[in-house]
Amino acid sequence: MNLMLRCIKLIRFCLFFGLILVSLGCLCGMFLVFFVAKDLPKLPSPLSRIIERPQTQVFASNGQVLMTLGERKTIPLNMVSKDFINAILAIEDHRFFGHHGINKLRTLKALYITFFKSGKIQGASTITQQLAKNLFFSFEKTYKRKFKELLVALQIETSNTKEEILHAYINQIYFGAGAQGIEKASRVFFGKSALDLSLAEASLLAGLPKSPTNYNPYRHYDRALKRREAVIKRMVQVGFISDLEAQQVMITKPELHHEQSDSRTGSYFLDALINELIQKYGEDVVYHGGIKVFSTIDTRLQTYARQSLKKGLQRLDTMMGIKDENAEYPQGAIVAIDTGSGAVKALVGGRDYYKSEFNRAIKSLRQPGSGFKPFLYYTAFKNLGFHPATLLTDRPVIIPVKGAADWKPKNFGKTFSGDMILKKALFNSVNTIAAQLVEKTGPEAVNRTARTCGIQSPLENVYSVALGTSGVTPFEMASAYTVFATLGVLHEPFLFWRVEDPFGRVIFEHIVQEKRVLDPATTYQVVDMMKSVIERGSGRSIRHLGFNRAAAGKTGTTDSYNDAWFTGFTPTLSTSVWTGFDKKKKLMDINKVGITGGKIAAPIWAEFMMNALKSEPERDFPIPDNIRFERVDTTTGCNPKEGNETIEVLKVPLKPEQQLCVEEKQ
Amino acid sequence: MIRQWYEPLNFSEWLRRTFSFLNIAVFIITATFIFSEFRFDWVENLVGSYLTSTNEFRPETGAIWETGKQTSNADEYLNKIINKKEDTRQNVYQASTFSDLASGVSPGEWVTLEKQQFKTLYLTLEKSTALKIIEPAQLVWLLNGSSLDRIFCEGITGGIKIYFIDSENRVIKQIDLRKEDILEIENGDKPVPGELADMEGFLGRIYPAPFFFDTLFKLPADIIPDLIVNPKALLKQEGKIINIGIWNESENGYIKLGFEFEEAGGKQVVFIKGREWAVWQLSLNLRGAGN
Repeated sequence: MNLMLRCIKLIRFCLFFGLILVSLGCLCGMFLVFFVAKDLPKLPSPLSRIIERPQTQVFASNGQVLMTLGERKTIPLNMVSKDFINAILAIEDHRFFGHHGINKLRTLKALYITFFKSGKIQGASTITQQLAKNLFFSFEKTYKRKFKELLVALQIETSNTKEEILHAYINQIYFGAGAQGIEKASRVFFGKSALDLSLAEASLLAGLPKSPTNYNPYRHYDRALKRREAVIKRMVQVGFISDLEAQQVMITKPELHHEQSDSRTGSYFLDALINELIQKYGEDVVYHGGIKVFSTIDTRLQTYARQSLKKGLQRLDTMMGIKDENAEYPQGAIVAIDTGSGAVKALVGGRDYYKSEFNRAIKSLRQPGSGFKPFLYYTAFKNLGFHPATLLTDRPVIIPVKGAADWKPKNFGKTFSGDMILKKALFNSVNTIAAQLVEKTGPEAVNRTARTCGIQSPLENVYSVALGTSGVTPFEMASAYTVFATLGVLHEPFLFWRVEDPFGRVIFEHIVQEKRVLDPATTYQVVDMMKSVIERGSGRSIRHLGFNRAAAGKTGTTDSYNDAWFTGFTPTLSTSVWTGFDKKKKLMDINKVGITGGKIAAPIWAEFMMNALKSEPERDFPIPDNIRFERVDTTTGCNPKEGNETIEVLKVPLKPEQQLCVEEKQ
Repeated sequence: MIRQWYEPLNFSEWLRRTFSFLNIAVFIITATFIFSEFRFDWVENLVGSYLTSTNEFRPETGAIWETGKQTSNADEYLNKIINKKEDTRQNVYQASTFSDLASGVSPGEWVTLEKQQFKTLYLTLEKSTALKIIEPAQLVWLLNGSSLDRIFCEGITGGIKIYFIDSENRVIKQIDLRKEDILEIENGDKPVPGELADMEGFLGRIYPAPFFFDTLFKLPADIIPDLIVNPKALLKQEGKIINIGIWNESENGYIKLGFEFEEAGGKQVVFIKGREWAVWQLSLNLRGAGN
């Protein structure tokens, strides 16, 4: 009897205690709601307003839209594949149509796990809560934030239909790779509309919002597939698809859309462009101003540049015997600039943007090696009155340096060839002759010429600068060489022609201004020598590859084989190609022989230029009026003696006052 | 009547009290409360409705509103640029002289100039001075024969740049006009208020009038007429010449001379042109005598 009584007492106690607890809970809840509600953010009405935002558009030179910043292409629910709706509901919130903003059972379970199982945290956010979080709250994990999010979710549920909420959610979630909203994601990842997504594709996309970076299929395709597996299993569990369908989908590997890679933020060119716009107008205008930017990029040339670099680097991998996927791969960059205006036509800053966003085309300062010699030769011609037929001797050179060890430059082949004219010295890239020239001109004068041509990176006033020991970027090299291509006219390089506000009113316009910075006749003499680099010098592989247009350029390889360059130009396009490792590491082939600019960068240049110029008429460099040509014996600097067929004879351009056979005192 | 509470004395009393009407009612109400909430989500509805009713009074905070603010900032910034541009355009549109044009375009600003307006401004100048801006023949070619698309005017410190550009935005012809040049072109022989010392082009070449004329009269007689080719402007001017300056550049075989007059109203400068070789000779003598 006593036991029975005790039981009844206990039941009674529990009942009343529970009642008190519930009442207290209600009171606390009400108090909390009133307390927190005043700080809650206002909800926009209608909810679809959240998707309305002006979009900044970047156009290519042919008017094609390259990228839309902040784009959320809103589409109604009936324009989205049913498979995607099912997949996102299954993985994120399969009771979405049954709850009123919170899934109570799941929340209780999550609370139990969070409080009573140490170290474990269970999430229970519904789609409405996720929407509330994405719209108003930071990703800071606090109970207060969670409670606020819950309250906003309740308000969203009360003031909107389920369809409106789902519509807002799928048009707003971020899938990675610059894709916000399902339509944009579908276009970016699969190149199709959201309505046409297959189950295999839809389930892959549904898995991405959990962690767009970790599951980015462009970078981690396997991880994305694994996540998709979880989505598909969940779809089976909640009855959206059968086991058979699931098995069929699991073996399907959706093909990613790669063609529009440069239409996403993931492009070195667009990165550079956006950075420049931000510097000019600030982030608010760029990301939220809805401006229209008309860039200089030529999509056709950009595609060729990317393809040529990719193929060239694959060839380099083979030469170096790199097969291991985890090995460190060499990198590369290519920049092409229109010589007549300075417009950047193509720019690729690395092997793969999704693996490394570091833009080597504009940020990487690398030693240009002999690529710097044209500035030296121009300086020598201009300041010392030298010309392409001036005779110097390729011999061991020791140049005393004040306060430092003597400079003893060596030739690439470690041999010396005796007397030779400067034209031959340039196309054979003879370092000892370059050293003699810089000793006479002084490094400051050479640097001044380089600066005049637009080189802005810091240049050291040391003799070795003439052999390219100060770092420059491929962008600077391509731009500086345009001055040679135009026989001395500088056009500032630029990335966009025009910027308009959302109503089409012009807020910036680039005006192409010409500035004569070099003497045309002297520049032509240097250009003629640089033509020989391609005809018979270190860049002759370009002709072997079938590039037959008038072109000039210079290879560049650093002593340590860390950098291999080729920068060259036709009368209309100047292109610089760089290859090398990001770290200090040599480019060596499998036989441990160093890889030069002529071997790797020149072929990339040739392939790009052949494609880029195939629809353009052929043109040669204009010859200034006061230039005459003379045939010269390369070892004497004089007209060749008749009958002697063993000597090497070159045609050199000379100015009226310049004479042959004037020996330079050494 | 107050009844003293006492503990039930037996089991039936316990049962009777436990399952009393009040207890059952409280239990049923509580259970209904809990289960109806799980079934109908009325707490959520209630809270949701309450929050909806207070929505208008709550702050516009959070990521989505921040984005809205950023959009407003961007709009504001863009409007500022556009308004400034519109002001400049209006100034340029209303300009009736090149001086107005130069004053209307601040450094760093630019505006497109209608071809017709440029023609009108150009035609306001006298023939002899207009060619200092651009040769008439060249202008005719630019406006009527070349690939000219637009005329673009950019403000720079102390003047303006006028670009004649083609449809590819390439500059076909560029004219740099300093404000003082414009003033001189427009005013011709009219005196300009101010002092020679404030005019950059005369710096280091300003001589006191007695010294200048002393040196001038020592020159061979055939040189002197070439120094002051047209004395009309100087003779017209009231006041006393105190300083004479020689400009640092020659133009079309002439070098500008500035005569600083002092009169009751202040100082004024009258510009005339001397033949280059004669001014050169005078300069040598001035410097020689000075040394």
